[in-house]
Amino acid sequence: MTMLLAETSGALSTALTNVFSIETLLTILLCGLFGLFVGSIPGLTATMAVALIVPLTFFLSDVSAIAAIVTLTAVCIFAGDIPTTLVRIPGTPSSAAYTDDAYALCRQGRHTDALATSLMFSVLGGLFGTALLCLFAPQLAAFAKTSFSTYENFWLYAIGLSCAAVVSSDSRIQGAISLILGMLCSMVGLSEVHSQPRFTFGSDEMLTGIHFIPAMIGLFGVSEVLRGMWKLDRSADDSVSQTEVPEANLSLFAMIGSCFRRLFKRPIAALRSCSLGTLIGMVPGAGADIAAWISYSISKKLSPTPEEYGKGSADSIADASSANNSSLAGAWIPALVLGIPGDSVTAILIGVLMMKNITPGPEIFLEEKQQTLVYGIYLSFIVANLMLIPLGYLGIRASRWILRVPRRILLPVILLFCIVGSYSISGTQFDVLLMLAFGLLGFVLEHYRFPLGPVVLGILLGAELEKSFVQNLTKDPSLLEFFSRPVAATLGTLCLLLWLYPLIRMIWRFARRTSGHADT
Amino acid sequence: MSSRTLALLSLSVACLLGGCAETKDYPSRPITLICPWSPGGGTDQVSRQMAFFLEHELGVPCTVINATGGQGVTGHSRGLKAIPDGYTIGVITFELNTLHWQGLTSLSYRDAIPLISVNEDAAAIWVPKDAPWKTLKDLERDVRNNPGKIKGSGTATGAAWHLALAGWLQSAGLSPDAITWIPMGGADPSIQELFSGGVDLVCCSLPEAKLHYERGDLRALGVMSEETVEGFEEIPTMLEAGYDWTLVGWRGFAVTPGTPDDRVATLTAAMKKIVTGEVSVDGTTFPQFMQQRGFNNRWRERDEFLEFLAENDEKFGTLLSADAFKQLAEGEIGPYDFPKVLGVGLILFAVLLAIELLFKRGDRPEPDLQDNSPQAVVETTTSARIINVSLAIAGIVAYLCLTETIGFVLTASCILLILLLRTGTRPLTAVAITVILVPGVYQLFSGLLRVPLPRGWWGW
Repeated sequence: MTMLLAETSGALSTALTNVFSIETLLTILLCGLFGLFVGSIPGLTATMAVALIVPLTFFLSDVSAIAAIVTLTAVCIFAGDIPTTLVRIPGTPSSAAYTDDAYALCRQGRHTDALATSLMFSVLGGLFGTALLCLFAPQLAAFAKTSFSTYENFWLYAIGLSCAAVVSSDSRIQGAISLILGMLCSMVGLSEVHSQPRFTFGSDEMLTGIHFIPAMIGLFGVSEVLRGMWKLDRSADDSVSQTEVPEANLSLFAMIGSCFRRLFKRPIAALRSCSLGTLIGMVPGAGADIAAWISYSISKKLSPTPEEYGKGSADSIADASSANNSSLAGAWIPALVLGIPGDSVTAILIGVLMMKNITPGPEIFLEEKQQTLVYGIYLSFIVANLMLIPLGYLGIRASRWILRVPRRILLPVILLFCIVGSYSISGTQFDVLLMLAFGLLGFVLEHYRFPLGPVVLGILLGAELEKSFVQNLTKDPSLLEFFSRPVAATLGTLCLLLWLYPLIRMIWRFARRTSGHADT
Repeated sequence: MSSRTLALLSLSVACLLGGCAETKDYPSRPITLICPWSPGGGTDQVSRQMAFFLEHELGVPCTVINATGGQGVTGHSRGLKAIPDGYTIGVITFELNTLHWQGLTSLSYRDAIPLISVNEDAAAIWVPKDAPWKTLKDLERDVRNNPGKIKGSGTATGAAWHLALAGWLQSAGLSPDAITWIPMGGADPSIQELFSGGVDLVCCSLPEAKLHYERGDLRALGVMSEETVEGFEEIPTMLEAGYDWTLVGWRGFAVTPGTPDDRVATLTAAMKKIVTGEVSVDGTTFPQFMQQRGFNNRWRERDEFLEFLAENDEKFGTLLSADAFKQLAEGEIGPYDFPKVLGVGLILFAVLLAIELLFKRGDRPEPDLQDNSPQAVVETTTSARIINVSLAIAGIVAYLCLTETIGFVLTASCILLILLLRTGTRPLTAVAITVILVPGVYQLFSGLLRVPLPRGWWGW
């Protein structure tokens, strides 16, 4: 026991020195500033920000790379609230739920109050999500370690991928098509289980398959640039706000004080929003935006003053912004423990970890040699969320300048970074070509409202799903074996229900519609 | 403004010129090592350590690039098809001897000038501590009585450790498929699967299982080296147990044929000094590093290495050309079965989408959030939009076509400038951004992060 304690404290102190090293702290600071900028500019998403810095994380230490991604997403999601409040344009989709409330408060001259609330409750949500991550991830890992074999893995991948297709879009069918496209992309190259090349057209370079990082930079970076170029008007002033942005002067201490008062007034609501956010974050495909929407609507239902919602309710901002930030940490739980990403950002994270030869799975929580990494992740989350207070404060003060940066300059610059980023991972022009192809694919898919998240998940997990499928059938050629172990049977049934549910609903709807026709 | 622009311009030009002074001496510019395996793995660690010492020995920056995928084909082919000027070194591994027999590439050891091998790690057969078999003979008997019942793992089908096991089976007079091979991503997940009862034995190298062996969770029935290995003295070799089978996973360095002899000699001499421990940096040597990480520090120079390669190549040729092994590679589920399922799924959902569109044409939701921004309201003509998008695409294509000839800095500047001007940025601002940003990015990636950006005619 004492030895275990000594080991733990040893790992913890190494993790502390890793996280509080100059490299990591500087990374956190720079990523925070970058996140403020990207998050504040509507049209630039947190996923794109992460896609752009991934090539740089390749050159950082493991902990710094993780800290970079954590900070960037947390700051981005908060920074999205700044233009939401000041000019009524959500900076990221996650702020959309409470746009009307935030802007209404701004019109009443209470924008500092609105921004302070969203900042402090973002921090609260982030810390709460981190607490749940620390508590539950090792438990889940211990469970997975003893009871997960290739059969359970198969069903987990299947459930993860199906959830992503169902949740990420209004149309499940379009979600499914995106997902299958992604999975087909993952089939290109040398099949790991068969040791045979597929769809390579005889080229050695294609044997590698679709390299995840350039594909993702293409999907999220290049396609955004193309979309921006499509909408661009050369002659107009195209900075975010043409009108004067209201000045946001607030004192840091007053902000913290007022938010504590708000928290103590409605502690149950805060707890509810945070837990809800974390839970939704864990569902593959459902990210911060969905967490915010659901938390908003539940908050409205349970509120004593639902009539205020949409007309300037600070409570709604508190509940929704704590939910969207807590979902970020929630998304990391399945990603780290099971290798199944909860959203596009964690999908990128898995890509980064695998690039650094860390395979996410229960082992990283259970093996002593990985303890340092795990503590490093926890500490990064805590530090990043605490850093959000000064960074967010800075963002609020600087909002007037950020919102005046013209998009015409940003687009070409982003394109340059996309190109260099894709090239730098393995120093080959082929990756740049791949990035272009996926940029076009992303542009076309977005244009026709196909979600991009499932494509990424498909590329990442498609080959894994196939691998576990082949492994299972090699062990025993009968499909019944897929349900032979208790955990596998449970997961399998769950997965089949998930697949059949839309079908059943569709048939039912169709039947209702035709019977409705018959009545009239 | 203009004086500031001028100052920045001259500063950036000065930065650039620093990198392009080329002389006749070798080496006079950065050397790149192409590693076919992912960062953090064994080969990557060895390559990076070699690069580190090489940098001190040769006095030029040495960078490792990981060109992963295709079970090593990609990296090997990039390393061995590079320009033969001695500035690109290929890291070569065990797979160079097997990939071409499996028909995955035409590349073999004959397409390389082997410089030196630096490491050889033998494979061993591992079982859980409470497994019924005490010796290889026990296992052989059990396999003979129940062919196909026992499951093993360690790597993908046909990769190093699968060959190792198949070779042992063949030397025992058994069919290579007498033990069912479950393909896995590597040694770690295979050992996990062994502990959770999914497989009965694992075949992988000594360092990969070292931790579990020392803890007493795993036993080794036999090791495939020629002699017992230091630190693993209790494990008998296959030769001692009466099987004519050895297999070591090795790592080495090679350059493209056509590289000038003096450069090959320079590199070999430097590497030999490093592997023999003559070079020490900050008080540590290469052999010390190898020992610390549990890598066997066996090295072979030029001719001896070539001989070793030829011998190994013949051995795997016999094994992989055997009919039994060819059948084995076929497997139950063909490589195109799963893509077919996906294809059917795609068609199914496309049909569903068409039906859905027919039923609810017109009541689609209104434009998404970002369209609320003022830009969407502004009218832009379609032709202008198409030109905008095509220019962005043309920028990427231009990068693909031009960087190798005219260098990164010029290409990137042109692309950025043209796009900025097209988007309606004021010319002076556009020039200023280009002049600051492009050299900045070049310095960040090429200098700080040491990515060899395309150099072109003038070295930048």
